[in-house]
Formats: sequence, structure tokens, C-alpha cells
Amino acid sequence: MTTLSRRHFCMTGLALAAAAPLAAALPAAAQQLKGGTLRVAVLSELANYDPQQLSTVNFHVIKNLYDSLIEYTPEGKPEPSLATEWAIAPDKSSVTLKLRDGVTFHSGTPFKADSVLATLQKGADPKRGKNVFSTMSVVKDWSAPDERTVTINFKAPVPDRQILDLLQFLIPIDPKGIDTVETVPAGTGPYTLVNRAVGQSLTLKANPKYWREKQPIAQDLVFTVFSEDAAATAALESGAVDIVYNGSSRSAVRLKAAGYQVFAGPGQLVQVFRINSTRGPFRNKSFRQAFNYLMDRAAILRVGYAGMGQVVALPWAPASPAFDAAYTKTYAFDPDKAKKLIAASGLSADEVKGWKLLVNGSDEPSVAISQILQGSLAKAGIPIELDMRQGAEYVTALLGGDFAATFGAVGNVQKFPSRVATNSIYRTSQNPVLKDPHPHPDYVAAIARVDGAAGGEAEVKATYDNLNRVLVDEAFAIATNSYDVGLIVASQKIGGVTLDIDNLFVARTIGFK
Amino acid sequence: MLWSDAAAPVQRRLMRDGLVSFLHLLRRLLARRGAALSLAFLALVALVAAIADFLPLDPLTQSVADALMPPSAESWFGTDELGRDILARVVYGARTSLVTALGAVCIAALVGVPIGLVAGFYGDWRDSLLMRCIDVLLALPNILFAMALIAVLGRSQGAALIAVGIAGIPGFARIARAQVMARRQLDFVMAVRSFGGGPGYIMFRTLLPNIMSPLVVQAIVLASIAILLEAALAFLGVGVPPPTPSWGEMLRTGKSYLYEAPSYAVLPGLVLTLTILSLDTIGRALTALLDHDEAATPGETAGDRR
Repeated sequence: MTTLSRRHFCMTGLALAAAAPLAAALPAAAQQLKGGTLRVAVLSELANYDPQQLSTVNFHVIKNLYDSLIEYTPEGKPEPSLATEWAIAPDKSSVTLKLRDGVTFHSGTPFKADSVLATLQKGADPKRGKNVFSTMSVVKDWSAPDERTVTINFKAPVPDRQILDLLQFLIPIDPKGIDTVETVPAGTGPYTLVNRAVGQSLTLKANPKYWREKQPIAQDLVFTVFSEDAAATAALESGAVDIVYNGSSRSAVRLKAAGYQVFAGPGQLVQVFRINSTRGPFRNKSFRQAFNYLMDRAAILRVGYAGMGQVVALPWAPASPAFDAAYTKTYAFDPDKAKKLIAASGLSADEVKGWKLLVNGSDEPSVAISQILQGSLAKAGIPIELDMRQGAEYVTALLGGDFAATFGAVGNVQKFPSRVATNSIYRTSQNPVLKDPHPHPDYVAAIARVDGAAGGEAEVKATYDNLNRVLVDEAFAIATNSYDVGLIVASQKIGGVTLDIDNLFVARTIGFK
Repeated sequence: MLWSDAAAPVQRRLMRDGLVSFLHLLRRLLARRGAALSLAFLALVALVAAIADFLPLDPLTQSVADALMPPSAESWFGTDELGRDILARVVYGARTSLVTALGAVCIAALVGVPIGLVAGFYGDWRDSLLMRCIDVLLALPNILFAMALIAVLGRSQGAALIAVGIAGIPGFARIARAQVMARRQLDFVMAVRSFGGGPGYIMFRTLLPNIMSPLVVQAIVLASIAILLEAALAFLGVGVPPPTPSWGEMLRTGKSYLYEAPSYAVLPGLVLTLTILSLDTIGRALTALLDHDEAATPGETAGDRR
């Protein structure tokens, strides 16, 4: 029988003690989670496989079929992904990336600099760039000194955070499949496409050549499309699925109370009352400013989103560097102040009520919160009607600017503040609602100041403060509350859930306990 | 003497007989327990809908702090997600449903019955043309047709009413046509014709009063279909826009709160179900009574009853 000496025992103990935190730091999946078939209920059919179309309906597939150049932790700290290193030039006019070796696309094509160049080319194309296009506005050109290095040059010095946001937003696409990426996925991601039954399900299987060790954990990933939130949650409760992704806040609250796991990421949306300031009484600034005080934000959050989220008066999630809680207090619900501003507007009683509130009839929270505002307006002596439109009809009116006012959520509110300009109502040029020339030049200037603030922390903070002040003063978009999108509700047997900065669904670390 | 002068006593007698027949039918209907209960329930719904403005009920005032409260002494049906009184919304929702049903029946009858009268009376190319048009309407599922019409007209109570009304035209047209075809060669029609009665007079003054019974039954059946269709449209999100109370809209919203406030969807649903059930019960009872009459008096027409 072998016996341990006291010294040997102590050394072993120390080694184990030192190893414990390291073991804990490893993904839980690698430690104890088992593979299998992960069944996920989703509430929308994906639009396409293009990773540059970062719309909510595609959230469940992007990070499973693709990898981005860098990633953020939920706290916003950048981490290597397909780019192992990045070096921002001292004058902040360029960034140089080192690309990961040994990575292949699903087609077998090696991942090299040419794919990043092709992806940049697509992103900079106004017709093909989708959501990436607006973030490429700061990019001047790019080059690849060798297969593993890419340099991106900017038109002017760009703040660090904005550069990192761009890298996180860039998802390399296989150059061979870039023209057909909407119908055939062309990524390096942890899963590959097996089958898609449109409107019913999407089946993926583990990528055997995936570059991250011991990932993905689940061998098969099956998304089932449910048209009703209640049906999806019932499927979870009956054991027909393991996870519900992007269900309603109300269901999440109920299921959490029933013992299910609920995961909310940092990538919240902010609900915004969008005002078409080129129409009717909304041309009047004082009248618009009244809406800062007409929003019963607490009621909106409670009724629309089951209290999950936070009341805000600015279009930033709490994780945003521009977030300022003081504005929420200053612009709290106050019908009396609103009435004074309406009176100060000089508009007649007939003028202030000659408009309709466009409502997304397919979205229950929007219907409820629109009625809350309708009630507040009635108290302020402004009776209005709701213009209910369904699905595509609403989206067409929203994106085409064919409305006087409407509620619509905005994203990217946890990123660099000027990213808010990717949302239609906040666009500084070619704004589909406010048109050109932009009717709020102070806002355009404030965004330009934020983009140009590449100096110290105080300078950057001053530009954020200026932007916040301009937003409430111009009052063409009144933020009401942040709320969760991409909520993950999982059964107790699921572990290893990774939260994404944009709340995209990351399946590669998920397994069964 | 003009033919109309000669026919006037006959017409007056027919009208008087029609009123007597109706009262007689109502008495026999009330003798049936199910039909009597149904009539009483419908009368109650119609009454509260009519006098809703004078009742201490407010369907629109919000109180979010009191949202989703269960039924209580203050709020018999509880409150909805905006803290509005569900009973008040059910009462005002009855007004929406009944107005839609009444309007839809009127539209369907005013268009469908003349089509059926003309088609049945002439029976020639006019019959073929009109009935093919009716066949086209019949081929379209009611709900889809109504949704398409609302997409064109916009979302409002008027649009829902017109959509449901047009969907009901074929029913009236086919029944009127069948009844007219069965009676157009009978003696009382020939008598009016021999007095010189023109086609319009015969169709609208002679035949129409004699086919009222099946048309009344059809009106009741269509009323129940109309209420259900209006609720279905609201449930699908294309009915009367909020905040106007509507039973279907309440069901649509209430289903999201089934766990927190089951009474929100269940109680309006119960009222809707009872209303439909009452109309169906009355319709079935009327059909049974009329069928019994026809079986008891073979070869006799409604107009020949003494």
C-alpha cells in the first residue's frame, strides 16, 4: 500500500486548491453537461441566413451558424473569437486584426483574410450590407497584408468602443457562398444546417470541425416554430421542448415562479414613442415636448412587459455608456406639466387632436401601451383614435414613415451611443420618417460630436451629455422603458447557458445536467 | 276598378293573418322552456346594452394599479390588464355585438331577399345569373371574405358589419328563392296575377309576406353567425379597434392572462356562448314549430292558413 508523506500530501492539497478556481472558470458544459438533442421553441420563422441582417427573427440562428471577429462578455468586455488579436492605432484611425488559424467554413474552405475582406465589401454595399451598412460609415478602406492579417482604415479618428462594436458586428462569411448566403448558410459556426421546414422547424447538427474545444455540447439542435407564446410555454411545461427562446416577459415571470430557469441578457430593447415631426401638430416643438411628461412609464412597463425591464427617458439600456438615470426622474409622468406645454404650444384644441396613433396590432404589448397613452391623452384633453394595423402592413407604415406617431422598439442601445442611429427614427440621413434635410440639425450635430470624440473620458462624457440633452429637447422620439428580448426560459435539466451581448441565442455551451 | 283596389282587401287580410300567425307562433315558442329561457336571456342582454349609458358602468376608465383583479363586490367580473371593469366592457361589448348582428342581418336581408325573390319568381336567365353570383359568394369562406373586405375598408365596426352582412347574403337569397319557387304557381298567387298584379307587386306584396317565417328563422341563425363572426374577427385582431369594447377582443386579450386572471377571458366567453346558444335554441325551436305546421297541414301554404 502506498502512503503519502505529509509534504507530498500538503503539496497535493495546494495543487488541488490552486486548480479549483481554474476548474470553476471552465465552462460548466465541459465539466458536467451531457450532449444530446436540444429542442428549442421559437416564436418566429427566420427571415434568412444572412448574418448581416441582425433582426430579431434571425436571433436564434446567427450565433449557431456563424462566429464574429470578436465577442463581448455580458459585461461588455471584448474577447477574441475569429480574430485572436486586434491593435488600434495610436491615432485611432485604423485597427489591425490577427485572424485565427485552423478554422474552416462549413463548406471546408479555410478561414483566411479573403473572407473578412469579402464580408467588409458586402457590409459596405448599401444594397447588400443590411444592418451592417450604417456601422461601416466610419470605414474608409481595408487591406490584407497577408492571409492572417487584416487592417481596417477609418475616415477619421474613431472612439475605441465604436471600433470594437464594428468588429463584434462583423461576422465572416465564406466567400464562395456570400452571394447565396440568404438561402444557404456560409459560416464557421458550431452547428451546420441539416433541414428546414419553413414555418415549422429548423434542424442543425454539431460541426465536427468546430474550432472551440469540446463545443458544441449538444449534438443536435432542433428549433420548432410556434405561432403562440402560450403554445410554446405549454410545450415547455409538457416536456416537448427544453427551452423557449424569445417568449413574452409575462410568460417568463410565470414560469420562473413555477421553477423554470429564466435568463435575460444585457441586449435589451428600448420602447420608443416615435413622432413624425414633419406632420400636423408634431411640427410644434412644445407640443412634442409635452409627450416627455405624458408617458406613464411605470404603467407601460407593468402592463406591457410584466415589470421586466426599467423605465427610461432616453434610448439607452442601463448597460449603455450614455445611460443617465437622472433623466428618468426629471421627465417622470406629469400630466399637469404636459398640459402647460400643450398650452404653451399655441395650438388650438382641434389642431392637437387631428391625428391617429399607429399601433402594431400583432404585438400585444404595443396594443396595451398604446391604450395607456390614449388614456393619458384623453386626460390631457386630447382624444385620439388608434390606427390598428397587422404584421407587414404595420411594418410598411413604420419603415416608410407613414404615420403621425407610433410605439416601436429600438435596439443596439447597449452599444456605442451613435449606434442608435441605425434605427429608422434616429437616422441622421436618409431618415425614412423625417426625410432629408433632417428637421433636427441639433440632433445630427450631437451624433457627429459623439462619433468624433476620440479624446479623453471627460470629452466623451460631455458629448454623451449633449446628445441626451438634445434628445429630450427635440423630442421626436420619447423613450419609455427598456425590456428584454431574446429571453431564455429553460427546464431545470438544462445548463451552460451563455448570455450574448445582443441577446442572440448561443447553443454551443448548452447541455443537459 | 283598378286591379290594386280589387286586391287590397286580400292583402289586408293576408297582413292581418300574418300578425295573428306571428303572435300565435310567439306563444307556442314561449311554451317551450328552452326557447323561453333563451328569449329571456337575449332580452336581458339587449336591455342592458340599450340602457348601458344610464348604468353606473364605465368601460374605458383605466386604473393600472387595479389591473387583473378577480371578481369582487366592486367589480363583479373583475378587471382587465388596464384596470378597466370587465362587466362594463361586457355590457358595452354586447352593444357592439348586437349592433353588428342587427346591421349584418339587415344588409344580408335587404340584398339577399330581393335577389332570391327575383331569381325564384322568374326562374329564367335571371335566376341563372343571380344564383351563379350567389354561388361565387358561397364559395368564399366567410372569415376570409370578411378579412379581405376589412383589409380594403379598414378596421372599424362599420367594416365588420358590412363584411358580416355580405357574408350572410347567400343564405337569405337561397331560402327566398326556394320558397318563392314552391309558391309562385299556387292559387293565391294566380289570383293576384289574374287581378292584374305586376311582378313587383306579386314578389314584394304577395309572396314576401308568405315566406316570412323561414326568413325570420334565417335572420335568427344569421344573427348568431354574425355575432360569432364579429367575435372571430376581433379575436384575429381585425375587428373593432380598441378601446371600443368587443367580446372577441376581450377573448383575444384575455387568453394572454389565463393564468393570472382566468375570469378575464372566461366570463366574456361565457356571455358570448350563452348568447349564441340562445339564438340557436330559438332558431331550432322555430324550425321545429314551422316544420310541425307544414307536416300537419300538407298542401297548405302559409298564406292559406286560417
